[in-house]
Amino acid sequence: MTSRTANLLGLLVLALMLTAVFMVFYWVPTEADQGIVQRIFYFHVACAWVAFAAFGLVAICGILFLWLGQQIFDHLGYASAEIGMVFCTLVLVTGSLWAKPIWGTWWTWDSRLTTTLILWLLYGGYLMLRTMGDDTPQVARFGAVVGIVAAADVPVIIVSVRLWRTIHPAVLVTKQGGHGLQDPRMVVALLVSLAAFTVLFLWILMLRVALLRAGSRLHKLAGEIALANAALEDA
Amino acid sequence: MGAFIALIRKDLRLELRAGESVLTLVVLSLLILVVMVFALNAGVGPNNAETAAGALWVALIFAGTMGATRTLLAERENGCIRALMLSPTDPATLFFAKLTAGFLFMMTAEIAAVVLLVLFFNLDFDIRVARLAPPLMLGALGFAALATLLAGISGRVRTGDLLLPLLAVPMFVPALIAGVKASAIALTGSPLSSAAQWLKILTAFDMLFLGAGYLLFEFVMGED
Amino acid sequence: MEHFGFLWAAYSIIFTVIFLYVVFIWRRQSRIESTISALEAKMAELDAASNRKRQN
Repeated sequence: MTSRTANLLGLLVLALMLTAVFMVFYWVPTEADQGIVQRIFYFHVACAWVAFAAFGLVAICGILFLWLGQQIFDHLGYASAEIGMVFCTLVLVTGSLWAKPIWGTWWTWDSRLTTTLILWLLYGGYLMLRTMGDDTPQVARFGAVVGIVAAADVPVIIVSVRLWRTIHPAVLVTKQGGHGLQDPRMVVALLVSLAAFTVLFLWILMLRVALLRAGSRLHKLAGEIALANAALEDA
Repeated sequence: MGAFIALIRKDLRLELRAGESVLTLVVLSLLILVVMVFALNAGVGPNNAETAAGALWVALIFAGTMGATRTLLAERENGCIRALMLSPTDPATLFFAKLTAGFLFMMTAEIAAVVLLVLFFNLDFDIRVARLAPPLMLGALGFAALATLLAGISGRVRTGDLLLPLLAVPMFVPALIAGVKASAIALTGSPLSSAAQWLKILTAFDMLFLGAGYLLFEFVMGED
Repeated sequence: MEHFGFLWAAYSIIFTVIFLYVVFIWRRQSRIESTISALEAKMAELDAASNRKRQN
């Protein structure tokens, strides 16, 4: 994980992002019913993909951390959670900005947005735990447990919320009527957006983990200096 | 087995100390139900099954969270957690003992809440109320498992008593949705077979958290 | 071009937030790295000092 790899990856992110933006704003045809606002869909879904995938990664890293004990897994998990939180927030915000012009309301309790809101709350809980807790391996283990349990809960949440919504259909019908993408260009644009955001996530993950490791190194150094100082004074 | 019983007795004694806990619980459930009636401008009677079910579960979540928080604080103050960590009991037994105590506590809260519900919402003590038992018991079990696991964590973190509801409530959502739906179905007089899918969700939820507690409690109880 | 405002707002927010977050990480990284270099220099100093002491 050198800074050269990070820079190369960053360039790849830039290239993919530019392509995606070009596609979303120029190449893709305008959707018939919703007009240009529908273009929010591409990055909105991409953010949602990252938000959910990041959560899965938090859980996987949690399992690995509890099993193998190496700090890198804890760093990956924490970073993933923080980044996931950012993208989850973006999903909710872009979702609202899409809902308002299309359905006239900022928020709708449709199954996808509701599930994302709960995911946001779960992320919030995890991050509160890590920030309010001390920087100890014990708290890291707690984080791992919470991450694992929350991720395991997500499928149950999805099922229950979906069932809740179908039995009592919302006033507004489900968003975008599923992925009824009429034009193949829309599918391509979506895939490119997903790819761009995936690489973006991996890049930011690298940066964030590097920061966490630097923090650990700092901590260790400070400890070593304190010891060396003490040893000098005793001698 | 002896350790298991001893632990349950200790936790129950903690929670039922001088009966104050049970009384507080009943009063709390009463207050919350009153607030719900006003807040929701609830009509009363059998046509308001949905509202009644909702009010009931709100009361339960609050009671459950408060109960968990108080036990947590009590244990932290008495350095009980350290003592438990040092004991030779295996973590799974510890988990199930605490879970059982928590479950019994929740059941007590639920019985109180149901009685109050019947009184406040002009229901009858009939088969409809009896049909509340499966969703309520499954809900209590799930919440107890969840709270036991999370209380172990929140107890060792600063301002953990704020953290506990923050973590517990979002995780509890599927059980909440399913529990309210199943309870509403029960209160409208339909047989529980109509609530089958909701009960299945509750069961899946319980199995998830019982399993998670069994597997992960040792990491929650580890050394500092 | 109806609702263009919403489209514009959504994409601006996405890019702004991501940009700010990355910048935030970058700046903290540089600050930590300079602190680490300073500490490493201090550590080298202390090592040299303890070596001198041992030789005496």
